[in-house]
Amino acid sequence: MAAPSLPADAGIPASASLSRSIARASFIDRIAGLAFVLPGVAWLAIFFLAPLAIILVVSLGSRDAGGHITLAQPGLQNYLQATRAEYLPAFANSLRYAAVTTILSLAIGYPIAYWISRYGGRRKVLLLILVMLPFWTSYLIRTYAWMIVLRDNGVLNSLLQATGLTSEPITLLNTDFSVILGMTYGFLPFAILPMYVSIDRLDPHLVEAGRDLYSSGRAAFLHVTLPLTMPGIVAAALLTFIPAIGDYVTPDLLGGAQTTTIAKIIQVIFTSGRDWPYGSALGFLLMIVTLAGTLLALRTLRREVLA
Amino acid sequence: MSGPTDPATYAEEELIRYLVDRRLTRREMLKRVTALGAAVALAPIVAACNAAATAAPSVAPSPSTPPSTAPSATPSPTPSPTPVPSPEGELFIYNWDAYIGDKTVSQFEETYKIRVKYDKFPDADTQMTTLRKDGKGGGYDVSYPASTEMPALIKDGVVLKLDKSLIPNAANLRPEWQNPAYDPGNQYSMPNYWWTTGFAWDPAKVKTNPSDWPALWDTSFKGHMGMLDDQREVFAVAGFRLGLSPNTTSEADLDQMLQLLEQQKPLLRKYTDDDIGDVTSGDLWISHAWSGDWYQMTADKPNTQYIVPASGAVRGNDTLVVLSGAPHPIAAQLWLNFNLDAKVSAANTNYIGYMGPNAAAEQYIDDAIKGDERLNPPQSILDKLVELLYLAPADLDKYTKRWNALRA
Repeated sequence: MAAPSLPADAGIPASASLSRSIARASFIDRIAGLAFVLPGVAWLAIFFLAPLAIILVVSLGSRDAGGHITLAQPGLQNYLQATRAEYLPAFANSLRYAAVTTILSLAIGYPIAYWISRYGGRRKVLLLILVMLPFWTSYLIRTYAWMIVLRDNGVLNSLLQATGLTSEPITLLNTDFSVILGMTYGFLPFAILPMYVSIDRLDPHLVEAGRDLYSSGRAAFLHVTLPLTMPGIVAAALLTFIPAIGDYVTPDLLGGAQTTTIAKIIQVIFTSGRDWPYGSALGFLLMIVTLAGTLLALRTLRREVLA
Repeated sequence: MSGPTDPATYAEEELIRYLVDRRLTRREMLKRVTALGAAVALAPIVAACNAAATAAPSVAPSPSTPPSTAPSATPSPTPSPTPVPSPEGELFIYNWDAYIGDKTVSQFEETYKIRVKYDKFPDADTQMTTLRKDGKGGGYDVSYPASTEMPALIKDGVVLKLDKSLIPNAANLRPEWQNPAYDPGNQYSMPNYWWTTGFAWDPAKVKTNPSDWPALWDTSFKGHMGMLDDQREVFAVAGFRLGLSPNTTSEADLDQMLQLLEQQKPLLRKYTDDDIGDVTSGDLWISHAWSGDWYQMTADKPNTQYIVPASGAVRGNDTLVVLSGAPHPIAAQLWLNFNLDAKVSAANTNYIGYMGPNAAAEQYIDDAIKGDERLNPPQSILDKLVELLYLAPADLDKYTKRWNALRA
């Protein structure tokens, strides 16, 4: 029993000082963490929550006889008249454009993302920069460029006629086609990037394992690659669909008399109609509908696909 | 917003402003895109378009009167009045693009040594939103509201009561412009330009020689017709067809107008906020248009026609006002006076084709403008024209509700 006594007694103060220093460290960590998080929170509060609160307050107000916003009798009257049946076609247009744009962006974006990740090799970064390249020019300018391309006497029609494929100009601009083309073009990079990340993170060995177990290439893709990259696809779909449903610029510039979207309706209420409370209510409602739809879609997806 | 901008962002800001501008022509767009350097990507397209575009060298359609370097720079009929407060060194102007003589601003700057900051708005709704956001002009000194807006702008205190001793050139106004209904005695505004709203067409595509509004319901032009993206103007057209007042506030009248417009909508290509660009590019064969815009179309497409329709049309005018929150009110009133100078006023009209209310300017206006019935209609046509009046919010709602129902 001459074993050296363990410095048990020494251990207590040591561990106490350790836990003290841990406590101190975690306190500093927490402060540092707060310091790191604060700018983001402040940014969100000032540039997101505050404007949102203003919209909410204005949407509860009304206008006096001179057209000025007043909160004299706050209430939900603007929301009650927001759901007018005559706006439904515009809302349907918005939904349709957003849905088609999302599907096209996923369908075109996934192969591109897959190809860059699997076959990009040393040029991956360059290829990703190429995906981002359009952002170097203002979206507005690029949309105007599409107008030049799509006009009756524009680049595309000139080409079609020069090659003898058509004899008269085809109406391309101011149609469903030009709106969906412009939106898909605009949102594609937002779809490619999250899907690329997801595909790139996928361990190729998992696919090989599938092939080793005698699955066909198609089956391996459907049962291994696709489910494992689903988070990227969902992120891409959200990043496309949500801004697309409220998009104003593209349908306004590339659209025509038959392509009015709900965003245009809201714009008219704000400007020509000068009814900010009503416009705010419609805008807020659109946001809630989008948010609710997104959450619902996410929950369903998580249960069925991501589980 | 009106402060000095750093040069790096200035170019882009300027460009974007041009882009959202309703008066942007395709060529101007190309010029600017090229200038920015996006030309690298667009080079083949730009080349194709330039080749395709007509040969006219510039948007400016007035070769005849070379605006002399300083046309009566000092206000002519000023018999050196009582000591005038000296003007400030800057002036912030808020106007449409291409809505003034090309040399007017630089002449003013040189003459008075005042630096002008000239901002542009894309449409009248944006203009009103900006001018009313703080209730006193959004930081600008001078703007150009439509006369329709004047009663409300005066009532709401957005515009400043003018000091007529600073605007001796007001004497140049024609008698019928000395006391307009929208601003009796011109106490708060000076009339600027006036116009008619008719329709313009490309005779190569539209061979029916149209003379009245039903042409815009002609099914043979389906997909190539345009109406202005302006609810009051569009409902006015339906009013003229139905024999109803364009200022009606009767729900029954408006329902009838809406019904007629619903019949027209499937035939339309677009409700345009760029009538000039859409007609000259060939996208629209026939379009609801403003008289001065038609004049500018002829610079790109000389054969374009225009008519004040037989069953009636809107006559509008806009105004020059000093805003109640103007940081430089003296310079602003100097600007109003300068633009009422006979030669300056004529140079403005000669550049953009809109007639002014200035009697003294008449002799300096190009014959091509003053002699053209479509820009300067005779009394027989003037008698058929109707002014759009200001509508109270509750009445305007009746239009907006139907306009949105039509568009949706």
